[in-house]
Amino acid sequence: MHRRTALTAMLAASAATLTGCATNGGGSSSDNTDANGTVHLKFQSLAFADTTVAQTKKAVKAWNAKHPKVQVELIQGSWDNVHDQLVTQLAGGTAPDIIHDENADIIGFGQQGYFADLKPYLSSSLRDNVSDGVWSSLTVDGKVIAVPTLQQTYVVFANTTALGKAGVSVPTGKSLSWDDFRAMAKKLTGKGSHGVGWGLKQPAATVLNLSANFGGKWFRNTGDSASITVGTAELQVPQRIHAMAYDDKSIDLTSLTQSGGDVLPGFYAGKYAMMVAGSYVAQQIQEQAPKGFGWAVLPPLAGTTSAQPASSQTLSVSKATKHVKEAAQFIDYFVADANLAKLAQSDWLIPATASARKAVRAQTGGKDGWDQILVSGEHSVDAPYLHAKDYPQWKDQIATPALQRYLANDISTSKLTDQLTKGWKQVAGGGH
Amino acid sequence: MTPRRLTVGRALSYLALAGYVVLLGFPLVWLLSTSFKTPRELASLSPSLLPESFSLTNFRSAIEQQDLLRAGANSLIVAGCTTALVILVSVPASYALARFRSRLRGVAMGWILVSQVFPIILIVVPLFLILKQFGLIDSLVGLVLVDLVWSLPFALWMLQGYVAKIPAELEEAAATDGASRLRTLTSIVFPLLLPGIAATSMFAFVLSWNEFFFALVLIQDPTLNTLPLALARFVGQEGQVQLGPLAAGSLLSMIPSLVFFALMQRRLTSGLLAGAVKG
Repeated sequence: MHRRTALTAMLAASAATLTGCATNGGGSSSDNTDANGTVHLKFQSLAFADTTVAQTKKAVKAWNAKHPKVQVELIQGSWDNVHDQLVTQLAGGTAPDIIHDENADIIGFGQQGYFADLKPYLSSSLRDNVSDGVWSSLTVDGKVIAVPTLQQTYVVFANTTALGKAGVSVPTGKSLSWDDFRAMAKKLTGKGSHGVGWGLKQPAATVLNLSANFGGKWFRNTGDSASITVGTAELQVPQRIHAMAYDDKSIDLTSLTQSGGDVLPGFYAGKYAMMVAGSYVAQQIQEQAPKGFGWAVLPPLAGTTSAQPASSQTLSVSKATKHVKEAAQFIDYFVADANLAKLAQSDWLIPATASARKAVRAQTGGKDGWDQILVSGEHSVDAPYLHAKDYPQWKDQIATPALQRYLANDISTSKLTDQLTKGWKQVAGGGH
Repeated sequence: MTPRRLTVGRALSYLALAGYVVLLGFPLVWLLSTSFKTPRELASLSPSLLPESFSLTNFRSAIEQQDLLRAGANSLIVAGCTTALVILVSVPASYALARFRSRLRGVAMGWILVSQVFPIILIVVPLFLILKQFGLIDSLVGLVLVDLVWSLPFALWMLQGYVAKIPAELEEAAATDGASRLRTLTSIVFPLLLPGIAATSMFAFVLSWNEFFFALVLIQDPTLNTLPLALARFVGQEGQVQLGPLAAGSLLSMIPSLVFFALMQRRLTSGLLAGAVKG
C-alpha cells in the first residue's frame, strides 16, 4: 500500500513538474518583436573573468535603459563548448541573434553562410578604428561576418628579480629580436633553472602565429583552393624553439609538454626566468603570484617584423535574425571605447580599436605590462590559415602531433615539413 | 583452513579494501582541499594536501557567479523526472521483454543494443530539429524527453535481466492462487524487482544529472541552466580555469547525487529472494 502510494505520488509529481516547467521553446533567430513593437535580441556572451562578466552585464543594462524599443537579453555561454553549441543551433536556426566567439572559430560558419554581412551597418568611425589586417581576417567572400572586440598576442613574461640576479637588464624599446631573446635565455640558464618555460602542449596556434614575425604565411588562397607552403619563413619559429631546447638547453623540456597555465607555478618558483604565453596570462600572474614577485612584459618578439596574426574575439549576427540592423547597432555601442577599454583591462587583452587602446594606455598608465601588451597588438596582420577551409582539421590531426614530435626531438625538420605538407593533402583531399 | 591462514587472508583482504578506498577517495579529498584554497595556494609548485586556511570564498563565488542553486534545482527537476519516467516505462516493458517469448522480442532486444552504438553527435542535429518542431527547445520538458530516450535502452536492458532472474514459479504459484497478471506484476514481481529498480534509478539519475551536451544545445534561457552547464562556465579560453570556484561548485553539485545514492542503496539490498519460494 505504502509502495503504491509512493509510486503514484512520484508519477504525479513528475507529471505536474513536466507540465509546470513547459515553456514556449524556440530559441531565437526569429522575428522577436512583441505587441508593443519592441525588438528583443539575444546576446550570447562568453565573458569569463568575474569583472568581464560584470562589465558585460553593465553594458547591456545601460543599452536597455537607453533603447526601450530594442531590448537585449544576455545569455552566458562558455568558451569550452561554443563550437559544438553553434554547429547545432545555427543548423537548427535557433542561434542567439548576437554571437560572441573568436575569429579562428567563425570563419567556417561564415563560409557556410550562417552570419549576416555587417558591412552595410559599420559606422565609418568603427571601420577606420580597426586595422585592415583585422578586417581582412573577418571577411569571407567579401562579407564582413564579425566585428572584433579584444585581441590576444603572444608575449614574453619575465621574472625581473631573476633577471636582476643574473645581471640581465630588462629589455626596452619597440621590439625584442628572436636572437636577443635566445641570447638572454642562454644567459639565464644554469644551476637547475632555465631561461624559458614555454607551455607548448598545443603548439600549432603559437607556432603559426609567431611565424608571422618572419613573414610565414603557411597558406595561400582561400576555402577549397587553399594550398600549403612550409618554407624557410614558416620553419623559423619551430627551428628556433628546437635549438633553444636542445642546443642551448635554455628551454625547460618539461614545460614543452605542458599547457600555458601549467607553466605558471614554475615561473613563480623561479624555475624559469621567462615564459612565453598569451597576454591574458598577466591577469593570472596579477592574481596568483606570490607577494613581492617582480614581473614584466618584454617588448614583442620580432624577426623581420613583430607582426602577429589577428587573434580576435568577435561579435557576429546570425543571418536568421530579422533584426540585423538593430543587432549591428548594439555591437557598435558595445565596442565603444568606454566599454571596450574596461573589458580589455578585465581580461588583459588588447582592444581591437585604436581609440580603445589609447584609452587603456591612459587608464593604466602603461603599468603592469600594459605598455608592451598594447604595443604587441599594433601590428596585427591577416591570418591566411583562417581562410583555409580544412585548417581546423589539419591543425588538430596533423600539425599538433607533428609539431609535438618535432619539439620532443623525435623527428627531423625535413620529416616535419614532409608530415605537415602531406598531411594537408590528406586532409584537404589532395591536389593542393 | 587453519586459523592463522584465515587471519592472514583476512588481513590481506582488508589491506586490498583499504587500498581501493584510498584510490577511490583520494580525488574526492583533493577536490575538497582545492575548494578551500586561495588562487595563490593553487598556483604553488608544491601543492599541499591541506589548505592553509579554510576559506569559503570559492563556495561564495561559485554560488553567486553562476547561480548554482537555481542550476541545481533545474538539474534536480530534470534528473528526478527522467528517473521517474524511465522507471515508469521500463518496468512493464522489461517484464514483457523477459517473459514473452516471441520474434518481436528478439527484434526489440537487437534494436536496444544497436541504439547504444550511435554516437551522440550523429543524432543531435536531427533531434534538435524534431524538438524545434514541437516547440521544446529551451525548455526542461525537451531536456527530460531527450534524457529519457537516451537512458531508456540501457535501463530496459538492465531491468529485463533482473526480471529474468525472478523465478517464474512464483508467478505460476500466484496464478494458481487466482491472481491476475497485473496483480502478479504489482504484488509479486514489483517487490522482488526493487533492487533492480533501485540500481536502474541510480543509473538513470546519474546519467541525466551529469548530462551536458544535450543541455548545451537545447538550453539558452539562463534561468533554465543545469549544473553541468553552470560548471562549464568556470572554464575559459585557451584552457584557463577558475579552479577554486570550479572545485567548490563540483563539490556542491555532488551532494544531491550522494543523497540519492544513500537513499537508494538501502533498496539495493532489500527485497531479496530469500524464502520467497514455498517449500
